[in-house]
Amino acid sequence: MGAGISRRGFLRAGAAAGVALNVSFLAPPAGARLIETPPRPGPDWLTPAGRPRYRLDAIAKVTGAKTFARDYRAADLPGWPREQSHAFLLHATKADRSFEGIDLTVLGEALKPDRMVLHEDLVADGITVPHPDFFGDVFLVPKGETPRLLGQPVALLIYRDFARYDAAKRKVRFDDSVVRYGAATPYNQPPHYGASRYVRIDGGSPEAEDRYSPFKDSVIFGKFSGDKAVWPSPGEGDAMARGMAAAAQIEQDIAAAGSDALVLKRSYFSQSIDASAMEADNGNVWYDAATGVLHVMAASQSPYEVAEVSAELVSTSKFLLKEVDLKVGYTVGYGTKDHYIFPLFCVLAGLYGEGRPVRLANDRFEQFQTGLKRHAFWMDNTLVVDRSTGKFRIMTGHFRTDGGGRANYSFSVAFVGATAAQSIYYLPQSDFSAAAFASRAVEAGSTRGYGTLQSMSATEMMVDEAAELLGIDPIELRLRNVFRSGMKNTQGAIPAGALRNEEILLKARAHPLWSARAQKKKTFEAANPGKKYGVGYGHVQKDYGTGAEAALASLEFDPRGRISFRHVAHEMGPGVTTSQAIMVGEILGRVPDETEYGVVRWPQMPLETTDEPYTLSQDEEDRRKQNPRWTPRITSPMSATNSVYYLGHATREAARILVDLALWPAARSLWSRGTGGGALAPYDVRREDLRLGGGMINAGGMPSLAFEAVAAEAHRLGLPTGVTVHTFNRWQWTEAEFDVPERGRLRLSIDALALRYGEGASEEHKRSMTTGGWHFIERAAVSYPPAQRNNAGVTYYAPMATLAEVSVDIGSGTVTLLSHHSILECGRQVVPELVSGQIQGGIAMGIGHALKEYLPLYEDGPGDGTWNWNRYELPRAKDVALWSQTAEVLPPLSDSDPPKGIAEVVMIAVVPAIANAVTHAIGKRFHDLPITPEKIREALS
Amino acid sequence: MTTETKPLALTVNGRPVGPVDVPEGLMMQDFLHEYLNLTGSRMGCGQGICHACTVIVEGEGGALREMRTCITGAHWFAGRTVVTVEGHARHDAKGEIVLSPVQQAFIEHFAFQCGYCTPGFVTGATVLIDRLKRKPVARAELEQVVTEALDKHICRCTGYVRYHTAVRDLILATPGLVSG
Repeated sequence: MGAGISRRGFLRAGAAAGVALNVSFLAPPAGARLIETPPRPGPDWLTPAGRPRYRLDAIAKVTGAKTFARDYRAADLPGWPREQSHAFLLHATKADRSFEGIDLTVLGEALKPDRMVLHEDLVADGITVPHPDFFGDVFLVPKGETPRLLGQPVALLIYRDFARYDAAKRKVRFDDSVVRYGAATPYNQPPHYGASRYVRIDGGSPEAEDRYSPFKDSVIFGKFSGDKAVWPSPGEGDAMARGMAAAAQIEQDIAAAGSDALVLKRSYFSQSIDASAMEADNGNVWYDAATGVLHVMAASQSPYEVAEVSAELVSTSKFLLKEVDLKVGYTVGYGTKDHYIFPLFCVLAGLYGEGRPVRLANDRFEQFQTGLKRHAFWMDNTLVVDRSTGKFRIMTGHFRTDGGGRANYSFSVAFVGATAAQSIYYLPQSDFSAAAFASRAVEAGSTRGYGTLQSMSATEMMVDEAAELLGIDPIELRLRNVFRSGMKNTQGAIPAGALRNEEILLKARAHPLWSARAQKKKTFEAANPGKKYGVGYGHVQKDYGTGAEAALASLEFDPRGRISFRHVAHEMGPGVTTSQAIMVGEILGRVPDETEYGVVRWPQMPLETTDEPYTLSQDEEDRRKQNPRWTPRITSPMSATNSVYYLGHATREAARILVDLALWPAARSLWSRGTGGGALAPYDVRREDLRLGGGMINAGGMPSLAFEAVAAEAHRLGLPTGVTVHTFNRWQWTEAEFDVPERGRLRLSIDALALRYGEGASEEHKRSMTTGGWHFIERAAVSYPPAQRNNAGVTYYAPMATLAEVSVDIGSGTVTLLSHHSILECGRQVVPELVSGQIQGGIAMGIGHALKEYLPLYEDGPGDGTWNWNRYELPRAKDVALWSQTAEVLPPLSDSDPPKGIAEVVMIAVVPAIANAVTHAIGKRFHDLPITPEKIREALS
Repeated sequence: MTTETKPLALTVNGRPVGPVDVPEGLMMQDFLHEYLNLTGSRMGCGQGICHACTVIVEGEGGALREMRTCITGAHWFAGRTVVTVEGHARHDAKGEIVLSPVQQAFIEHFAFQCGYCTPGFVTGATVLIDRLKRKPVARAELEQVVTEALDKHICRCTGYVRYHTAVRDLILATPGLVSG
């Protein structure tokens, strides 16, 4: 999702300490069993056409088998002791007083913990927080200091048995006497987290060279003076100064706008919410002091990062560390389990477990108290529209966001929100800034939407209001300003491929929900006294990817044609394990017989990385890339949005290379058999004629060949029958050249390649397979996307629009969603059922944001430990127009369209659609979310 | 809440359990997870809100009842017959898994994503179908009855549509559940 953190320092330290990192996943055994033990005889998860009847992981999940990290206890983990200790954290609920200690009198002797860990114990043992600029400066509040954030842990209590743990935890919950505080103090303010600004003035047309843009010139970075973001001075000097001069010019243009323009200035607020992933944060850690092995089992969307940071934590302490053995189960987090501190608390628990595994698992109160939140945004927007043409001249937005008491990804969430604020519009002039502030709120971080739900919802609400003030139909106004293919975004970059927002707008305008809304409003309100009817439209395009997407995938087949597939991807719910296997089938004509996901051991790919893909200078990258084993990043954090396109790229490239290097020549060999060149010779059969499907291979009128026969021939010929690739994308794919034996130099959309040759390979080829049994082919040349492309912000977008139909009870203020219709463009769908499920689920989450979910930030917020789903209202089935909702997906432009990442965009459009529908219903505008019954009653009073 | 124990005996997924000494205040969810290693019934809220933790209790006359294990003490289940999510599927003579009709409907409808809430939905839908066997629903009321029955189950990934549609379609395909 967002920018990574620097780990260079650690990598040096880790190498010096000689710590082995060993990451493995718990889920694959469950996943693998699915194919071997389907509910009916035979591998029935696929139709004869190679389409999935159900998710690859469906059986395990529907039978309640252990799949989630939370399901595992020490006794379930091979090689671990069977005895399990349990731990919980005590948390501070005040950030305006010093922490003075723990009073466990309420527990009595019987329930006293077997071990209590305080900050002072960590200091004594040399334990410090890795990357304090990301995770905060202390784990536990030091005695005498004021907590950095509400809900910050103050002590870790460990019990050797569950019964006492459970009883003690229930006793101290909500008991204000346990954590003791001293005198009132000022807030213990960490430094604010970052400010950046994106200014662009076009060159007079979308096509002309920009006068100024972040991509052409520079992103502008700010500093802080107290609680105010401070920007560089405008001038003619460096790029940032020129950028501020451009910003000043835009301000002057706004001020000078005459009566021929609408100048709309509005302030918006988007609230903090809890992602409410149903699996709360958890982990289980066993530290074996005798061997120096730290065994970690944790729920994480970024397992490599957990392994690395855990190693850094322990290796710099008094505890001996030889190896980190990390196991990861399935999990769900909507981003909130990506680079989060909780696994490190699990490591602390394990270190003090006295040789026993210790399980630390949040209950829901604790999850609200400590889990990463979606950022609250305050947005001051200005839109200047030409009254005669309805064309947008200028849009500016200056955003503040509250990151809470640890930095986490707040800075990047803020700037991703700023770079998305243009939504689906072309803006000749724009100035978007975002500043991420520290506060005593519970930490906010990577959460589905990543700042863009906040900024794009505001834009869509603003455009709706502008349309009303201009007397233009809201969809017509959008059509006049729609962002078209080839135009530049607010960073000055041209997005990938075709942008099909205009098609979506035309479809929406023709939809009965929109075209008949005026008549239906009359009819409905006449038939339902006391209720008002409204239809609203929201339309956004969401970037997908992080700007540093890396993946590994491997495909091979044996002489009997059995296909094995291995991938770094691991499952968090969206169906990545299903869709990757289906993508292989689309290219090879057969879905793999064996799959393994979450693969972390890649001995055939001896890659090295600095893992600083966002901050490495061009000169440094040019120097490092001379090492043919270097890559900017090994793998990315797992998110639903990056799976189908980015992780899928590695899958697709491995499959395509396998076709080119093995299946095509092997098929030609079979077709060439016989006198005079066989059946092949009289025809002109070309590579582009090749068709693979249903387990058969055909081309240009040749006899169909079974995949098994071609596989056997490829092995007989000693062709490459296994392909492993590594891919890297910085808003553009890396390409590299490889000298492939007997094929010469090939330019491929990957940056590392290993091949395995078939059984009939020459001795020379067999001798080359020395790297984990593979031939790692060092690249001859590589072309990484330039570092400047980091400034592009984003180049990959997927759009979605939603029409929401609501009724508003003017007595109670209750909003009821009567129906909604969505239009999505996602390229080529791989598994339509999964896309449909994403749309439905995303919309439900968006409904929650628009109408229900809200967290106060500070003293009465989740940090006080009393929040749960009884008072934090999640959308339920009755809230989502379950039986009346519809959606359509634009057909791809051709079957060669790439699949696009849609897991975030599906959630967003419904938010402004509902806000605009409420306005249509009652004639009042709301600029603060969520739109609660109280706000509606107040507006109507 | 104390750690005083007393013996507990019950039937879980067709097998007798206990008597085993169990703390008097222990919740059934924790008994299933920590004592029986049955972790399919999931901890969601611990307050009886989300229904991810539910199990079936067989009542008098065989009628099925859905119980929240996060707010019901383990000892309430003493002597009762309980079915957790792990007890719905069976193995055939070849050892292959045979899913219950509800489970089969859910997987064929791609009803879930992360699957954390799935055990609760399996339980709730199974209890609903058992109820309809005794008292069929009018076709015109079917969608409303499905939503009323399952509305208490929270799903955060999939937006409910596929769960509810799966149950509606299963009810329509099962003779005797719909009248009129």
